[in-house]
Amino acid sequence: MSPSPSRSARRRGTPAAQLAAFLSVLVLMLVACSGGTASVAPSASPVALASPTAAPTATPAPSPSPTTIPAFPKTLTDDQGTAVSLKAEPKKIVSLTPASTEILFALGAGPRVVATTDFDDYPPAAVALPHVASYTSVDVEKIVGLGTDLVIAGGNSFNDPAAIAKLRDVGVPVLVVYAPDTKGVLKDIELIGQAVGLPAAATDMTTKMQAGFDAVSSATAGLTKPKTFYELDTSTGTIYTLADDSFSAEMVTLAGGAPITTGSKTDFSIPLEKLIAANPELILLGDGAYGVTAAQVKARPGWKVMTAVKNGAIKPVNDLIITRPGPRLVEGLRELAMAIHPDLVLPSAVPIPPVP
Amino acid sequence: MLVGVGVAALVVALVLGVGVGTVAIDPGDTLRILGHRFLGLDIPKTWSDATETIVVDLRLPRVLTAMLVGCALGVAGATFQGLLRNPLADPYVLGTASGAALGAAIAVIIPVRFVILEFGLIQAFAFVGALAAITAVYKLSRIGGLSPLTSLLLTGYAVGSLLAAGLAMAMYVSGAALRQIFNYLLGSFDAATWPRFLATLPIIMIASVLIMLRARSLNGLLLGEQAAAHLGIDVRRERRILLALASLVTAAAVAISGLIGFIGLVVPHVVRLIVGPSARLVLPLSAIGGAALLAYADILARLAGGIPVGVVTAIIGAPFFLLILRRARTGYEV
Repeated sequence: MSPSPSRSARRRGTPAAQLAAFLSVLVLMLVACSGGTASVAPSASPVALASPTAAPTATPAPSPSPTTIPAFPKTLTDDQGTAVSLKAEPKKIVSLTPASTEILFALGAGPRVVATTDFDDYPPAAVALPHVASYTSVDVEKIVGLGTDLVIAGGNSFNDPAAIAKLRDVGVPVLVVYAPDTKGVLKDIELIGQAVGLPAAATDMTTKMQAGFDAVSSATAGLTKPKTFYELDTSTGTIYTLADDSFSAEMVTLAGGAPITTGSKTDFSIPLEKLIAANPELILLGDGAYGVTAAQVKARPGWKVMTAVKNGAIKPVNDLIITRPGPRLVEGLRELAMAIHPDLVLPSAVPIPPVP
Repeated sequence: MLVGVGVAALVVALVLGVGVGTVAIDPGDTLRILGHRFLGLDIPKTWSDATETIVVDLRLPRVLTAMLVGCALGVAGATFQGLLRNPLADPYVLGTASGAALGAAIAVIIPVRFVILEFGLIQAFAFVGALAAITAVYKLSRIGGLSPLTSLLLTGYAVGSLLAAGLAMAMYVSGAALRQIFNYLLGSFDAATWPRFLATLPIIMIASVLIMLRARSLNGLLLGEQAAAHLGIDVRRERRILLALASLVTAAAVAISGLIGFIGLVVPHVVRLIVGPSARLVLPLSAIGGAALLAYADILARLAGGIPVGVVTAIIGAPFFLLILRRARTGYEV
């Protein structure tokens, strides 16, 4: 009589028992090896990369004087208030926003940039670099694989915050920048300049940019400010324009316009009714580069009642230099001012250092 | 024997999973790194620090988390199918998915930035949300005259819908953070780290083992309430305990991985096709099968260019789901 299946199963051990045995061996192995595993706490990583959770050393930021205060190691505070420690001058920089890429190249750190995003478009040298990020995701593995020692990322969820946290977890310093106004843009340029060891170049650039801003705002100071509607995008059916207190709204004000904003600091969309009630005198097409023309705007249902449409005051503008918080912002402000006040005479622009 | 096959599949998945990624790493290097770090073998270091970081800090926790979540979903799916005596039940049927998603969405939109013991605010809130949802469903289902199982399912559906409405509202007001919520809903292992893995490992392992110890009760419940009672099983108590354990396992799984569907539905059915309906066999094999399936799905997802794991499991699972439905018409029993 052959043994019943249950008896032989019991002899071998039920699958549950087999599984339990395997699992307990596995757990024991993991526990025993946890002394050797990388990071139960990220700072315990034996990998020699700068760790952001190391106690920040309060090294004073270097001043542009010929003393021998070493520029690195230093700790910087990024725009989200996080302390970022840099052990040495970064040699392999990854930029995750187009604005930061432009800033890095303009400061002269271009040769040290090893990767950018797949939507970077300026300068031409940056477009050829490998891509480690898209609109939707950041490839943490690729960034680590390049031996990166500084990442510059965009705040306000421009880059996935989970990816930023992951990079910091494995010891890559990440500087998060976010400029809510033009002063913030200058501050970010200085911050990035400090981070890459080029503070003098950064200060030089921001001084020139501030002078450029001041020149435009003083030239437009006494002029009447037309109610200006800056169109960001309408392709999805919702009208996107400038939010209250946003830095683009400040740009329009500096350029001598009265910007029509959405009424909210975080919402960039405006209902058509509200726009009609605001009755813009001038429409600037930020999406002009994407095929939107004045004729299309005139043909939109309900828009023809606006003063701007009646007078034909619809102009496309170069959205990239106006809304990108980078070194070309003065150029953008000048273009914006000329679009709002076509008869304006501006002093000749002080050139920002040419991009290699 | 099947356990052996399953374990072998898992080991292969582990090695493959650690070897595959957007950065090309020599497979020999991968094995050497693993041997050096975990088995303490004295191997001369021929790889760079960056490579070691990628293998040990990025890929390894990811593969292990995928296996852990797959195991959890497999066990939970088998348990829910047995508890509810419904072949279409999956771990999310009683509102855990909606609760976890709403918890994660709230974590994304509240303007507080802190990390709970390196675990992560999203993960913690998702875990709490899932447990809160299932508790609410259980408490609400006790009211009313319907049979317990029907009541549970219907209440689960109702509470799930309510939470889904809350989720829609949260997504609407989220602004720039919408993509984060969306990433959570699609489910992925990008956020897998060692602390998260080690924090959820004991919860899932202990709860799963406790469920497997109650396999006899689950078998009894499969026969129906009266038959189970006649067999000496305290139906109400066992149902409550199994529900709690399965929910705990599900909550822990969705907390770290987001909502990954079809594993909990498909794997127990495949296992039953092979070994029959006895929970003693189905539960452990679902655990192994789920772990293996999800590990391979994650590898496929990464090879396909980083698409969310949930998409891959849906592509595998949906046709299989239709297959089950066809067989159900011809008398397929849970």
